[in-house]
Amino acid sequence: MGIRSMAAMAAGRAVHAVLHGVLHRHASQLPGRVALAIDPQVVSHLRSKVRAGSVVVCGTNGKTTTTNLIATALEAAGMSVFCNRDGANMLPGAASALLPRHSADWAVIEADELSCIHILPQLQPSYLVLLNLFRDQLDRSGEIDHVQDVIVQALAASPKTTLLTCGDDPLCMGVAERARAAGTRVLTFGVDEDLGLPPDRVPEARFCQRCGAELSYAYRTYAQLGAFSCPTCGFARPERDFRATGVQVGHESVAFMAGFGGENAWAVRAPFGGVYLVYNLLAAASVARLANVGASTFQQVLNDYDPGNGRLQRFVIDDYPVVLNLAKNPTGLNQNISLMLSDERPKAVYVIINDEPNDGRDISWLWDVDFERLVDRQDVCMVLAGGHRANDLQVRLKYAGIAAPVVLQVDAALEQARAQRAASVLYVLTNYSALWPTKAELERRERKDG
Amino acid sequence: MASGRLVRVLHLYPELLNLYGDSGNILVLRRRLEWRGLCCEVSEVHMGDRVRAADADLVFIGGGSDREQRIVCEELLAQRQELASFVGDGGVLLAVCGGYQLLGHSYIMGNEEVRGLSLVDLYTDRGSPRLIGNVVVESCVSPQPIVGYENHGGRTHLGADVEPLGRVLSGYGNDGKSGQEGCLYRNVIGTYVHGPLLPKNPGVADWLLARALERRYGSGELEPLDDFEELAANETMRVRLLGV
Repeated sequence: MGIRSMAAMAAGRAVHAVLHGVLHRHASQLPGRVALAIDPQVVSHLRSKVRAGSVVVCGTNGKTTTTNLIATALEAAGMSVFCNRDGANMLPGAASALLPRHSADWAVIEADELSCIHILPQLQPSYLVLLNLFRDQLDRSGEIDHVQDVIVQALAASPKTTLLTCGDDPLCMGVAERARAAGTRVLTFGVDEDLGLPPDRVPEARFCQRCGAELSYAYRTYAQLGAFSCPTCGFARPERDFRATGVQVGHESVAFMAGFGGENAWAVRAPFGGVYLVYNLLAAASVARLANVGASTFQQVLNDYDPGNGRLQRFVIDDYPVVLNLAKNPTGLNQNISLMLSDERPKAVYVIINDEPNDGRDISWLWDVDFERLVDRQDVCMVLAGGHRANDLQVRLKYAGIAAPVVLQVDAALEQARAQRAASVLYVLTNYSALWPTKAELERRERKDG
Repeated sequence: MASGRLVRVLHLYPELLNLYGDSGNILVLRRRLEWRGLCCEVSEVHMGDRVRAADADLVFIGGGSDREQRIVCEELLAQRQELASFVGDGGVLLAVCGGYQLLGHSYIMGNEEVRGLSLVDLYTDRGSPRLIGNVVVESCVSPQPIVGYENHGGRTHLGADVEPLGRVLSGYGNDGKSGQEGCLYRNVIGTYVHGPLLPKNPGVADWLLARALERRYGSGELEPLDDFEELAANETMRVRLLGV
């Protein structure tokens, strides 16, 4: 290690000490940024502090939850972990997570898909978990083809990394095929049965990754995930290494058996709902299994899991239940709608759409969301539109057949939901930049009223 | 008045050309006819289907990724004459984003020049950087400025007899230099305002519908609708981008 990287680490740590110790701020980005400014390769030096292995988690939806579950499971098994838990998922965030003076057994790093190309060559992780690929922030990321190219390149620059990816997602398998051809070891996970859920709108991946023919499906689990095969060239869902069977999906819980081939399967049960969570939990369980965490330890982590990060976060404000969830792209919002409609309580719905840079400036994707599913539902009592693009959302809802008033504050939405006596729960669905202020306001109200 | 009148919409390759919520345009056309007691019949053209433009009043071409656009272009070139006759006969056609580029003589994909449909005298080459962002355009087809979002590497150049759709008030338009956005030729509109162009530009939607009705029935008169929400969305972005 040279003087330059030592200086970089010292500077980064000093920034962390000031931010965290003196100013009591979150130090998720700046220490890494400072260290990288002095030594752009600082992560490649920091990786020697990680003793047992490292995992990078990427994919359009579910990164933060999966990363946190893996890190928490490793800690629960007695291992020490570096982790960018708060979702600062570009190279500076990864560097910040690795900066502490001490060493650790594992590094678990959430990575933005396009940041893999910066993180993997330096970190050379044991595993890259690729959860799924959906259309997201086209103005920033470009088309999915480009995102796939970047991940393939990142893996080529990190030859010892094993790719653990979703075998049910043709877009992930497109990446896996190319990476495997270039020498990457590939493991896959997936759901082993038809869940019998109504199919949602599938904006992507109707066509074969190899030959361009239309894919056929024995069944879909959600979006483009499922038992796919190409009728012409043989591109198809692989035999998965890690499989979920006996899947039960509710709006407040999921349960399944996670099979790892030959060995005893794990019974996995979590107190939060949604079919996409089955995949996230299966990915986390697979990594835990690979890292020799036990089944009961993993289950205990799920029992205690309460990240309080706005993902399916529940509040009770003056006896009135509120559910907050992140929905930042069409697949995410469609899944949110499915989850919400599986809750039988009469509900008010408040959707918040911002267009800050970290949301994506382009909100055209609202027209790919199946808001039509909210029409003619007796349990959907009221829909409200919020965020900087509330007017666009209102127009989208109007053409779906829903008259949605514009409401700019979550407080006001809550008042309207309560005044509308039929609704007994408020769902707040928001994209990224509105999540934190909305969560903060709901927490403030909960404290005040509790 | 005149109930029972019908507009037949032909939606080309919705499964391939739907990069940015493009199908929102079809929903808007349908609703704005239905709200007026008129009928709307949407036919989707899929790969391998014949494009029966002669049976249509309004054709819509959306935008796709490079790969998808290439597939569509090859498929359509074989049926170019059908579309050319439709345009020549005053047929109404809306093409956004990649679909707009297909209208011209050629465009660039990768490092290769790809032959287009030559329905309108224009061509597209490429520049750097990509032109990305919100856009506002003043146009004779809409009483309000057209607002939307553009994201394109191509630079489109219009022939001498082709009018632009409008003048750029904010954003880039055809090439980021000329101040021109889109094309307006006979009853054809091409534009880089991608995806859901029509929802918050009801003037453009009604221009297309009026032209289609006029061609088919001799009168394009449309009952006014209450566009409070659409115009509020339009105005919000116009004020944000122009300050007025």
